[in-house]
Amino acid sequence: MSGPRATRLAVELHRQLMRFGAAETLVAAPWVERGTTVSRVAGHLGDLWSSPGQLGEPLVVEKGLPHARASVLNLIITVPDPAAAERVVATMRGLGFRHPSRVIVLAADRSAEGPPLDAAVTAHCHDGRDGGDQVCYDVVVLTVRGEAAEHLAGFVAPLLIHDLPTHVWWPGDPPFGDPIFDQLVEMSDRVIVDGSDFTDLLLGFRRLSTLRRRSGVGDLAWRRLGWWQELTAQFFDGPRFRRYLPNLNRLVIRYAVAPEDGRPGPASRPDGADVAPGVSSPLAAPILYAGWIASRLTWRRHATSLPLGLDGMRLVLEGLHEMVDLRLEPVVSAVDLPGELVSVRLAARGEMGAAEFIIDRTGEEAAVATNADGMTALLRRVPMEQQTESELLATDLVTDRHDLTYEAALRAAAIFLDAARSSQAN
Amino acid sequence: MVKGDGSTSVTAPNPLREGLRLERIPEPCTMVIIGATGDLTERKLAPALYNLMLGGFLPPEFTVVGFARRDLSDDAFREHLHAAVDEYSRNRPAKPSIWQSFARTVEYHRGEFHDPASFSALAKRLARIDRDRGTAGNRLFYLAVPPALHPEIVRQLGAAGLAATGERRGARRRGWTRVVVEKPFGADLSTARQLTREIREIFDEEQIYRIDHYLGKETVQNLAVFRFGNGLFEPIWNRRYIDSVQITVAETVGIEGRGEFYDQTGALRDIVQNHALQLLAVFAMEPPIEFRASDLRDEKLKVLRAVKPMTRREVAESTVRGQYRAGWVAGEQVRAYRQEPEVAPDSQRETYAALKLAIQSWRWAGVPFYLRTGKAMAARATEIAVQFKQAPLALFERAGTPPMDPNVLAIRIQPDEGILLRFGAKVPGPGLQIRGVNMDFRYGSSFAVDSPDAYETLILDCMIGDASLFTRADEVERAWEILDPILAAWECGEGGALQFYEAGSWGPEAADKLLERDGRTWRHP
Repeated sequence: MSGPRATRLAVELHRQLMRFGAAETLVAAPWVERGTTVSRVAGHLGDLWSSPGQLGEPLVVEKGLPHARASVLNLIITVPDPAAAERVVATMRGLGFRHPSRVIVLAADRSAEGPPLDAAVTAHCHDGRDGGDQVCYDVVVLTVRGEAAEHLAGFVAPLLIHDLPTHVWWPGDPPFGDPIFDQLVEMSDRVIVDGSDFTDLLLGFRRLSTLRRRSGVGDLAWRRLGWWQELTAQFFDGPRFRRYLPNLNRLVIRYAVAPEDGRPGPASRPDGADVAPGVSSPLAAPILYAGWIASRLTWRRHATSLPLGLDGMRLVLEGLHEMVDLRLEPVVSAVDLPGELVSVRLAARGEMGAAEFIIDRTGEEAAVATNADGMTALLRRVPMEQQTESELLATDLVTDRHDLTYEAALRAAAIFLDAARSSQAN
Repeated sequence: MVKGDGSTSVTAPNPLREGLRLERIPEPCTMVIIGATGDLTERKLAPALYNLMLGGFLPPEFTVVGFARRDLSDDAFREHLHAAVDEYSRNRPAKPSIWQSFARTVEYHRGEFHDPASFSALAKRLARIDRDRGTAGNRLFYLAVPPALHPEIVRQLGAAGLAATGERRGARRRGWTRVVVEKPFGADLSTARQLTREIREIFDEEQIYRIDHYLGKETVQNLAVFRFGNGLFEPIWNRRYIDSVQITVAETVGIEGRGEFYDQTGALRDIVQNHALQLLAVFAMEPPIEFRASDLRDEKLKVLRAVKPMTRREVAESTVRGQYRAGWVAGEQVRAYRQEPEVAPDSQRETYAALKLAIQSWRWAGVPFYLRTGKAMAARATEIAVQFKQAPLALFERAGTPPMDPNVLAIRIQPDEGILLRFGAKVPGPGLQIRGVNMDFRYGSSFAVDSPDAYETLILDCMIGDASLFTRADEVERAWEILDPILAAWECGEGGALQFYEAGSWGPEAADKLLERDGRTWRHP
């Protein structure tokens, strides 16, 4: 890309990112410098938080209250295009007091011309909870151009707050194997992606499960399953239904896909807080759910059937005592975001006949029902709020260890995808 | 496997539960709030239950029954709780969808606390709830009423057959029964024993959960993590390195219209008997063998047993009792304690207490523990401050320069929960001047998550059957054994005169003298 189009894109990207400078939490005038250097940016960050009396007045206006700079983690975010920039700004502003201490937003473009580095720095504070001190953080936006973009680590590393964990959030389809991606993974403690953004789900899952071992992996598609997993586990918390677990023989997961006529799905989350992430792989969350159940219950791949079409699939697995019929069924929906789960049905053979465990979501409410022991359905309604991307990210940011349950689900999901793909090839 | 209080646990855990955010989920149960229209329900219990629901911590079958005298419909009671959540919850206002879902679990039971018919009706209602909602016979009775009513209510529960737990319920009936009681646990050793005896005629000790909400606070739990989860601190947590310890529970509020209650109670009973001595016990205990209820409480009891009760003379030497005069607190004028409504104009009741305690153990012999608590103080602060011994040689001191500040480790419990370490550093520039600096860890800025309220933690623990953060009867009794001689000496006038302090100050001068005699000073947290 070159010439006027690239320039227009760069301007638009910059415009989106500078919305950090319009946040109501802003406490110092934004600092913007074109054609700058990393040491000048680091110098400015130092001045921003220097104590009074050391180097003149600190730049952060304290609103008359003592402030404490957050000491949680560094977050590096990459933004390849203006749409991603818009999404990142909205999501980060939704984090509120759950914000990381320092956010470094990277817009890197190898083919762009111009000065190698532009930077913008903003500082923000939130009131502490329970009358506590204000908690403050900063956002650094770096635009890296040309050959410099091949060496991002050198730009980012000096700007991290030392001795804090560093997470990398890559919105969109991560370029596995690209040196830029690898460099960032190398310096991070955790990489956060969204499986539903992957264009090639199988490849993405495989790469994720073989990432260098030091980095934990966070997946927002997995986080979206939180309430579904909770409700599913609840069926079997009591001893009465737990004995059905080894006898499960069917799992049907229905999930939303956009209408085929090209009409777009809903443009934004119902609360309007977030911009809708583009969904490349609606199958990501449902197949992770299947992978979760299968890995927890040690189901094994047995034989494959043909995919159901529209990315749906059907597999036969070897369960503990029974063969398990696993189906992932897409449901065309103009109201649900593509990839969202619509219903889960688990069936088992029991001593007193068949048992069925059902979660059915309509909007922000789910009906949970049990048909077992020859008894009529136990039905209740529970709230199932759609979580915003900010909430999903916030949940992931407090995790800094390997999530072994996720990693096992991811491996199982990759096996299922592989099985479906090879059956398609035949 | 049947536990002592009748809870059953299945040997094979739920494989789907492992690795989820909520690894411990209570069994289905009904929580009966006795005194459900009172202040505690409004300010603490309703918000705590709502937040537990919001976090997904409550099992689907969970049911609340509010029991009180007032004539209310189920809906009116739900509205009452809704208003309380909107006003007092840390997440407020209530989210409509979550609230609706919560409201469906709530019922109201109108009745009189002395009327057996009210309790037999309650028993029928609970049996019906077990059937309809699948609460499996598990019941938690929360006594949110003044302690004077506890014996009567407990007797009524027993008479209605509601107290039995586990196997004692007889054929084909199962489930656990637990009872939560709030402080004060008596007014001295004999009334505490009397109260315990009356409750234990009906309930076993394993069924009784005594709430001291300080133990539910994150920082207090973190004290155990700080000591036993790190390799750095435990080796110096003893008389060789620690010079002295100060425990402060300072409040800026006065007695907030509770004149009648406070004039019979005072600071020693209200704060020291429970909160301050529990902080002392957690701070000073030996590492427990395992981090579970019986071991923790055994270790806390050992600390309290090592605190020797004082003689009359020691009371006069090692304690100070104070009462606030008129003054200004945080820019507002405050009248004197004796001018508060329902307080006797010549009241001798202490609103401030300072004690110097000794723990006679190998770890702590010779280390003074200074405890102080007061109303209408200069600032609201609860903290434990450890003062370390000075370096053996004063390498940097010259004639005419003040001695270096001692190293201090302060564990702040409220507000601004955190841990601060104070040490000396060289002032930049020529010459060798040393000044104290702070290394400061704050919960609020180090974790991007909200802390649960103490009541959320404690109610959930009680439903799970984990009594670690609740006080056992022997701890309560031992605390009274420590305080009884002090109360007796004060009351007969041999424990030193009542000292007055200005509202908005850090307490009476005599308290400063108590430390000055030892060559120390109180911290200003």
